[in-house]
Amino acid sequence: MLFRPDRHDFRLIGFYTGKVLFGVGLAMILPLVVAVVLGETNDAYGFAIGVALAVLVGRATEALLYTRASLQTSHGLAAVALSWLLAPFFAAVPLLLSGHYASYLDAYFEAMSGFATIGLTLTNDLDHMTRSVNLWRHLTQFLGGQGIVVVVLTIFASAGTRVSTLYTGEGREEKIVPNVVRTARFIWRVALIYALLGTVLLTAALLLAGLPPATAAYHGINLFMAAFDTGGFVPQSANVAFYRSPMVEAVLLPIMLAGACSFALHFQLWRGRHQELYRNIETRVIALSVTGLFVIMAVGLARGGTFVEASPLFRHGFFQLISAHTTTGLSTVPGRLFVTDWGVLAPAMIVTAMAIGGMAGSTAGGIKGIRIGLIAKSLRRDIRKVLLPENAEIVETFHSTSRRPLRDDQVRAAATVLLLWLLLYLGGGLLGLFYGYDLQTALFESVAAASSGGLSVGLVRPDLEWPLKVVYTAQMMIGRLEFVAVFALAGYVVAIVRGRV
Amino acid sequence: MSDPRIAPVSRLRVLAATVAGLAILAGVLALTEWLRHPLPSGGSVAAEAAAPGADPRSEIVCETPVPREGIPRSPDPAVPGQPVGISSNELYDCPETYDRRAVSYRGEVVGAVLRRDEGAWVQLNDDPYSGDVGPLPAHRDFRGGNAGVGVLIPHSLADTIVVVGGPQTRGDILEVIGVFHRVDDASGEVTIIRAQDGSVVRQGGALPDPPLRDRQVVAVLLGLAAAAVVAAERVVARRR
Repeated sequence: MLFRPDRHDFRLIGFYTGKVLFGVGLAMILPLVVAVVLGETNDAYGFAIGVALAVLVGRATEALLYTRASLQTSHGLAAVALSWLLAPFFAAVPLLLSGHYASYLDAYFEAMSGFATIGLTLTNDLDHMTRSVNLWRHLTQFLGGQGIVVVVLTIFASAGTRVSTLYTGEGREEKIVPNVVRTARFIWRVALIYALLGTVLLTAALLLAGLPPATAAYHGINLFMAAFDTGGFVPQSANVAFYRSPMVEAVLLPIMLAGACSFALHFQLWRGRHQELYRNIETRVIALSVTGLFVIMAVGLARGGTFVEASPLFRHGFFQLISAHTTTGLSTVPGRLFVTDWGVLAPAMIVTAMAIGGMAGSTAGGIKGIRIGLIAKSLRRDIRKVLLPENAEIVETFHSTSRRPLRDDQVRAAATVLLLWLLLYLGGGLLGLFYGYDLQTALFESVAAASSGGLSVGLVRPDLEWPLKVVYTAQMMIGRLEFVAVFALAGYVVAIVRGRV
Repeated sequence: MSDPRIAPVSRLRVLAATVAGLAILAGVLALTEWLRHPLPSGGSVAAEAAAPGADPRSEIVCETPVPREGIPRSPDPAVPGQPVGISSNELYDCPETYDRRAVSYRGEVVGAVLRRDEGAWVQLNDDPYSGDVGPLPAHRDFRGGNAGVGVLIPHSLADTIVVVGGPQTRGDILEVIGVFHRVDDASGEVTIIRAQDGSVVRQGGALPDPPLRDRQVVAVLLGLAAAAVVAAERVVARRR
C-alpha cells in the first residue's frame, strides 16, 4: 500500500536539496573570480547573479525546511533526483547571460550535459566565449563527475552518516571505506592528485604543441576536467583536433582511462594491491571489450579505405574508441566524418563502446562493465549446468576487490538495469527517427546522451527540435543517476496523487 | 515512505507549495531572460537559424559516393588542379571528393597560432560568426556552433596574422590556397588543408563589450539579499 508523504518527508527532501543548491552557488564563485581577474565584467555580474540566486534559494529552503528527522533511503534518493533537476537550472543562469545560448532550455541542457559529464553541447559560437564562462562549463563536469552530493558531503561533513543514501543515489554503489564522509574525502584526494599530475602533464604537452604558457595552463585545467571526469567539453569547437598534437592525445588517453576506473579500484591501487587491476571483473570486461571492438573497428576502417596507413588508423581509431568506452566524448576528428568517411562498422563500434561504458562507481556512464561481466558469468554458469551431470553443484565466482560467489539476485538486478539502459537508448532513438533523422544518426546521438558518451555526428546542435532537447536532457539525468533516484522521485509524485492517508 | 503516526500533508498544501516553488523558478527564468546579453544596450534580435548544410537530415550530394565497407574508393588520388573555392561543410560532407585537390578557403583565425617546425597550425572558421553576422555575444543572431578547418600555413604567412579570434576579440580573416587532405600522410591529421599561399584579407580587432548597468544593479541587490539570508540563517542556526 502506498502512503501519502508527511511533512517530514517533504522537509527532508527539500532540506538536502537546499544544501546542494547552496553548494552549486558557492561553486560559481571560482569562475566569478576568474571573470573579475580577466576583466570579463558582464560575465562577472552574470556569475554574481547566479551565485546570489542559488545561495538565496538554497539557504532559504534549508532554513524554512530545517529538520532533525533522520534521512531514509527513499528521501535520499528523491533528494538526489530533485537536486539534479534543480542544480542545472541555477547553473544555467550565467550560461544564458553569457549570450551564447538561444534559450533557457539550451543553457539548461548545457548545464545538465556538464553535470552529467555528457559532453554534448548547444553552445553557439564557442570559439568567442569568455574564459570564465568556458571554465564554468568545464567545472560543472568536475562537480558532476565527483558527484554534486559528494561535494556537499565533503563541505558539510557533520551531516555524516545520515546522508549516506544521497551518496548511493548518485550512482555510487559501494562505500570504499566504512564511513561515507571518509569515502567522499578519499574520492576528492584521488581527484586532486590526478588533477595536479594531469594538469601539469597536459600543460607541458600543450606548451610543446605551441600554445602560449597562460593559454596552455588554462586549456590544461579544462582538458583535465573533461578527461578525468569523462565529460567531453573542450575549450575550442574543433575539440582535441584543435591542438594537432599526438602528444596531447597520448596524455589524455590514460587520464580518460583513470576517470573510467572505479574509485574502489583506485583505492586498491592506492594501497599497493596492483593485482586488482587484472583480477577485477570490470577491468577484464572492459579490456576485453576495448580489444574486441578496436579489432572490428580497425577492420572496418581499413576495409572501407578510411585509413591506409596503420599509424593514423591507430591514433584516431583508438582515441575515439577509448573516448567512447570511457564515455568521455573527446574527439580528434570532426563528428561529421563518422557519417561521411568512417563507413558503418567503426561508428557501430563507437556506439557499442558508449553503450557499455566504464566501471561502476566511476565518473563514466553506460551499462557498466560489472553488469556485462555478471550476465556473462551467469550465462557461462547456465551453459555449464546443461553440460554437466544434473546433480553437479556449480558455483560461479567473480573478483571485485575480493572473490565473491555469483548470486542470482545480483544477476537479476544486472539484467534489469541492462534492460532499462536498452530502453533508454531506444527511447531517444525513436524520437530521433520521428523527427526524420536516419537510424544511424538517431541511435548514435541517443546513446551518446544517455550513456554520457558525448560523441556526436552533428544531430545535437542549437537548432535541434526542442522535444529532442528535452528528451536528451532527461536521458542525461536518468543515465547519470542510473534510474533508481529518478524512480524514487517519481514514486513520491505518485504517492502524493494516489497515496492513502 | 510515511510515518503512520504523523498526518500526511494535504494535497492542497502540496499543490500550493509546488506552485510557489514553480513561481520562484519562473521568477529566476524571467529575471535571467530580462538581463540577457546584450539587452538593454541594443543589438539585433533574430530568429534562431542554422548554418547552411548543418542539418544532418539534408542529403549529401558528392561527386564521389560516400565511402563505406564493400565499395572500393578511387585508387588514384585526385590531381590538385586549379583551386576551387570551398567551405568547411562541403569538405566534411565530401572528404573523398576533395581529397588532394587544390582548394581556396577563407576563414577567421581562432584560438591560437600553433608554431611547429613544418609550419604553423591555425583553425580557420568559416561560420556566420566570422562573416557579416559577427561573433557572439555582441548580438542575438544565433547560427549554431562553429565550423572550420585546420590549416597548416607557412611561417611567413603566420607572421602576418595580428589578431587571433577568441574571447572579446574578432580574429583576422585569412584566405589560403592549398591542398585538402582527407588524411595527411606526413602529420597523420585528418581533414586538413596544407596551404602554400595566402593573405590576411580582413584585420580583426577587439569586440565592443559595454558594461551592462542593469545587470550590475541586479547583481548588487541580489548579492545583498543572499548575504542577508545567509546571515539570518546563521543566527537561526545558533539559536537552535
